[in-house]
Amino acid sequence: MKISRNWLQEYFEQALPSVEELAEALTFHSFEIEEVVSSDVFDVKVLPDRAADCLSHRGVAREIGAVLNQLVLSDSLRHPVEPFPESGSLKVSIDNQEKYLRYMAAYVRGVKVGSSPAWLKEALESVGQRSINNVVDATNFVMLNIGQPLHAFDAARLQEVNGKFSILVRESAPEEKIVTLTGEEYALPEGTLLITDANTNAPIGIAGVKGGKAAEISNDTIDIIIESANFDGVSVRKTSQALKLWTDASQRYQNKISPELASYGMRDVLELIQQVAGGELEGVIDVYPPEVAHAAKPEPLEITVEKINAVLGTSYTAGDVKHVFDRLDFRFQFIPFMDPEHGPSEEKGTYIVMPPFERRDLTIPETLIEEVGRILGYEQVKPEQMPELPVGRSADQARYRGIERVKDFLTERGFTEISTQTFAAEEKEGGKSADEKIMLANPLDQTRPALRSSLAENMEDALMRATNVAPRVLGPAAEVKLFEIGTIFKKDSEELSLVLGYKQLTGKQSQTLLSQTLQDLAAELPGAVQTLEMQDGSFGPGVGECILSIDGLIALGKAYEPRKVLLGPYKQFSQYPFALRDIAVWTPEGTEESEVSSAIVGAFQKHVEDMNDVQLARIDLFDRFSKQIDAEEKVSYAFRLVFESFERTLSDAELNPLMDAITAALNQKWQVR
Amino acid sequence: MAEGRLHPITVAVREIADIFGRMGFGVAYGPELEDEWHNFTSLNVPPGHPARDMQDTFWLQGAVATNVSASEKESREKELERSVLRTHTSPVQMRYMEEQVKAGVMPPYRVIVPGKVFRNEATDATHEAQFYQNEGLAIGENVTLAHLKGTLDTFFREYLGPEAKVRFRPSFFPFTEPSVEVDVWFKPQARAGEPESEGRWLEVMGGGMVHPQVIENAGLDSKKYQGFAFGGGIERLIMVKHGVNDVRLFHSGDLRFVYGFEENVQ
Repeated sequence: MKISRNWLQEYFEQALPSVEELAEALTFHSFEIEEVVSSDVFDVKVLPDRAADCLSHRGVAREIGAVLNQLVLSDSLRHPVEPFPESGSLKVSIDNQEKYLRYMAAYVRGVKVGSSPAWLKEALESVGQRSINNVVDATNFVMLNIGQPLHAFDAARLQEVNGKFSILVRESAPEEKIVTLTGEEYALPEGTLLITDANTNAPIGIAGVKGGKAAEISNDTIDIIIESANFDGVSVRKTSQALKLWTDASQRYQNKISPELASYGMRDVLELIQQVAGGELEGVIDVYPPEVAHAAKPEPLEITVEKINAVLGTSYTAGDVKHVFDRLDFRFQFIPFMDPEHGPSEEKGTYIVMPPFERRDLTIPETLIEEVGRILGYEQVKPEQMPELPVGRSADQARYRGIERVKDFLTERGFTEISTQTFAAEEKEGGKSADEKIMLANPLDQTRPALRSSLAENMEDALMRATNVAPRVLGPAAEVKLFEIGTIFKKDSEELSLVLGYKQLTGKQSQTLLSQTLQDLAAELPGAVQTLEMQDGSFGPGVGECILSIDGLIALGKAYEPRKVLLGPYKQFSQYPFALRDIAVWTPEGTEESEVSSAIVGAFQKHVEDMNDVQLARIDLFDRFSKQIDAEEKVSYAFRLVFESFERTLSDAELNPLMDAITAALNQKWQVR
Repeated sequence: MAEGRLHPITVAVREIADIFGRMGFGVAYGPELEDEWHNFTSLNVPPGHPARDMQDTFWLQGAVATNVSASEKESREKELERSVLRTHTSPVQMRYMEEQVKAGVMPPYRVIVPGKVFRNEATDATHEAQFYQNEGLAIGENVTLAHLKGTLDTFFREYLGPEAKVRFRPSFFPFTEPSVEVDVWFKPQARAGEPESEGRWLEVMGGGMVHPQVIENAGLDSKKYQGFAFGGGIERLIMVKHGVNDVRLFHSGDLRFVYGFEENVQ
């Protein structure tokens, strides 16, 4: 919610600190600040449990008063509302008892609709609201000030029967529609709670969400009906979701503002309308079921100073705690503890706190501990080490260590671990029919609407991609070997699965490597594998999978210490394809490999000076042999060069001259083959 | 023959499990396909609660049967059908406590839960629909918020470097009271040849004191036992520690990602 410092200033005598300082104070004691918008405005990310009282300048002012220990001059919510005269011109009936909590309507005659005074316009515009007219602006101002959504209807647009207007709160009929204030037409899902004119049966508003065009306030409006109500939060949330219509009002109702707030909102808006648009209050109707009113009354909470310290790990005194409750303007009572042996004890004394009605979050004693913790500041909570576990207890990491033992077994045999997506395509995989897969109701990626029932499908894909990038990543390796351990989903269970992938890059693909690896695994780590159905190529060439046994892993992990690996900084790879070039050179006996590779790198750098996005990503020696040539012992070095750019795909047109330049440079000393 | 590499998540979890292991924490597991009771209701997030909107949930097409006892099933049948991909590792808190209570083992409990979680939200360089979280839970008679701070302080100093420090800010989670946001101050690893980076504060996890209702839901007496819980993303830690720029690389199955880190086996 956007909060204006100038607006807040109305609550304080002393000048408030800068917006940045306010934002900092709130960040460490109340809630996050989304952004400091200007020297006057900041956007507060009110926490869900505080949205009932803090989606308002009053609520935020109260927080600032508590955090900065400054007196709040005047708080509308601490001034009880005097009873309103009862209206003889309005009738309110409710057709649905579950979705509403309270409905107040006031009838005001003879207002002069016009533009708002400058202060009101400026206040609304400072927090990003558009000024519409004095009556509508008054309702918006009071909502942004104390958090109660309000709405004004043009009475002339409602039908009067026997001198009475009749408002009916009811659910929408099938295929009922409404045009909202901003002109959009909504087809209402059946059961949407509506505010209607009972005399015409026409909807005039979507309850708790938005008013209707039909009874909009215009410059000709003279008599108005003002609504200050409370609707069930879950119902409002569902309506907003169904219509994809989220408003300042719906946001407040779905966060369950107190039904008590409605009368404060009504009082404040009537006063403000009187002030900015004149008119005369005829009377108010308040439909407020006694059981709702009863439930809206907060329960007293009891907490001892001892308990507060026992949870926070602090040593606050009864005085510290009192100070917090004072700053929050709570009503409370302190009962010192009378220890028969040691006399009165402050620390064991009990505070009985009556939460203010708007603080819907204060429901259990622990919520008071949070108030003390945050207002005094969590920096006061000093880090403390946990004590040793009692004798006979130890940290059980057996299952985890068993899994890591299998991973260590595999990396030692040259397999590299990958991680893939849990979501899978619906179609058949490895001969299994699609109906075995568990389907998501709301997939993010429509091409992967199911949960994987094996790891093999992802492995096939990963193996193919790994084969393509192997020269770049692995250099002149003869093979790619991958594994993944992850959860797969069957209709009636989850399993921990192991998949292996293997592809021979040079030479002949072994038909037994995977099954041999698994047999070794089963032999060296007995019990790890639950089902040994896996065969090479059972899912695709070079891919095989097996289910691991949790019990077996636990047994294997009991006395195993996983190998420790340290990782350094991460180096990005290019999204563009790399290019391979081989170069072989005859050198006299005694020439070091590094001499040749340095010469290549030097020639490369000299050539690419003016096109510095081209990189020599790798240079790997892949062949070396000696031979007598013309009675001289010569050594041949063959290097594979990997070029890439982070900005584009490299073309032959630029690589060929580059290789020519490297060849020319090497030929000055040696002889390129 | 050259050895293979471990995935960076595995490497990180080994460091995490090792550090927490020395502070007495075991490693616990739970299903990735969860029921509503464990993922939401038992953690103080009843149906219709706005907090369910805080985490975008993947739901299943039709619930899937689960293996629970007949009596349990009767009492909350609908809730115990597996129907969501877990949105956090917190349900394992509840499962772990339930199992211990059932086995007659009373607190102290100390476990971490590294595991995959799922959020139905648009993906970009910093958001992925599936990622790893590490959850922590410590329950006992005298476990305090100061212990949470001390535990995380130790963890981050060992994981990110001796200069790392933590601070708490107020927050809200339905399953903790009080709830805090945990920031950590640290210096990111410098790449070879680059100047050392400036230290900075970074939001890394949420935590707090376990809500008494959650402790009661697990079958423990909240008058006697209290404790802390925390949870945060593992990819994010790796990203800030090692300088990874895109979270989507982690579970892409791409070999280039795994080899993008300098590796040194001890």
